[in-house]
Amino acid sequence: MLFSPGWRAPVRQGQVLAVFTLGLLLGGTLTAAVLWLLSGLAAPLPGAVRTGAILAVAVLGVAREAGWVRVPLPQNARQIPQDVLQRRVRRGALQFGFELGTGVRTFVSASAPYVVALGLLLSHQGPVTTILAGTGFGAGRAVTAAVRYASRHDEWDDRRVTRMPLLTNAIGITVLIALAVLLV
Amino acid sequence: MPAAETLPAGRLRRGLTEPLLPFAALALLAVAAAAADQAVLCWASVGALAGYSLSGSV
Repeated sequence: MLFSPGWRAPVRQGQVLAVFTLGLLLGGTLTAAVLWLLSGLAAPLPGAVRTGAILAVAVLGVAREAGWVRVPLPQNARQIPQDVLQRRVRRGALQFGFELGTGVRTFVSASAPYVVALGLLLSHQGPVTTILAGTGFGAGRAVTAAVRYASRHDEWDDRRVTRMPLLTNAIGITVLIALAVLLV
Repeated sequence: MPAAETLPAGRLRRGLTEPLLPFAALALLAVAAAAADQAVLCWASVGALAGYSLSGSV
């Protein structure tokens, strides 16, 4: 594991975390830039229709996380190959982070990323807002690695797994509330 | 007996790295930014929440 306390590679773990985080930020930024380009297609739709669609998707996301509805996610159901990290640690961490940061190269199992992506597509925000949302996505993914690293204990993974159902539900509800307050 | 009780480093670290803490901070930021009509900050924090919802997923 990249940020395990049992780290034995000849490269400092903090350096790997920094490079991995950079990759995540770049990946999220790239995806957001593409979303911003595509969001122009939604611009001709009336504002009320776009806002209604965004909030409907956010409600659907909450319902899916709560287990009330089953919605198959259009995710790329694959994992990034382990050998990416085994060839060169720093370059591998950068590539690994970048692929994770794009959100299209591997599993995206929670509803919130889809809600945010569709929200950005439909609301047609400015380039800075859209791109920073993507950078934020990368940063949000980096938080997990940073906190895991800071914990210095394998037990952190157990705590994270225990809290995941609560986290994904709470994040879905928070995204719905924030977007409703912002857009309505 | 020590004059003042101090929190063991392990317990402090464990508390500070609680997986729900980043969610709480980002959620507060997202909703506060939305209420203040700060679209850039709101979308950035909502994006970060979306990223954090994939915690541990690779």
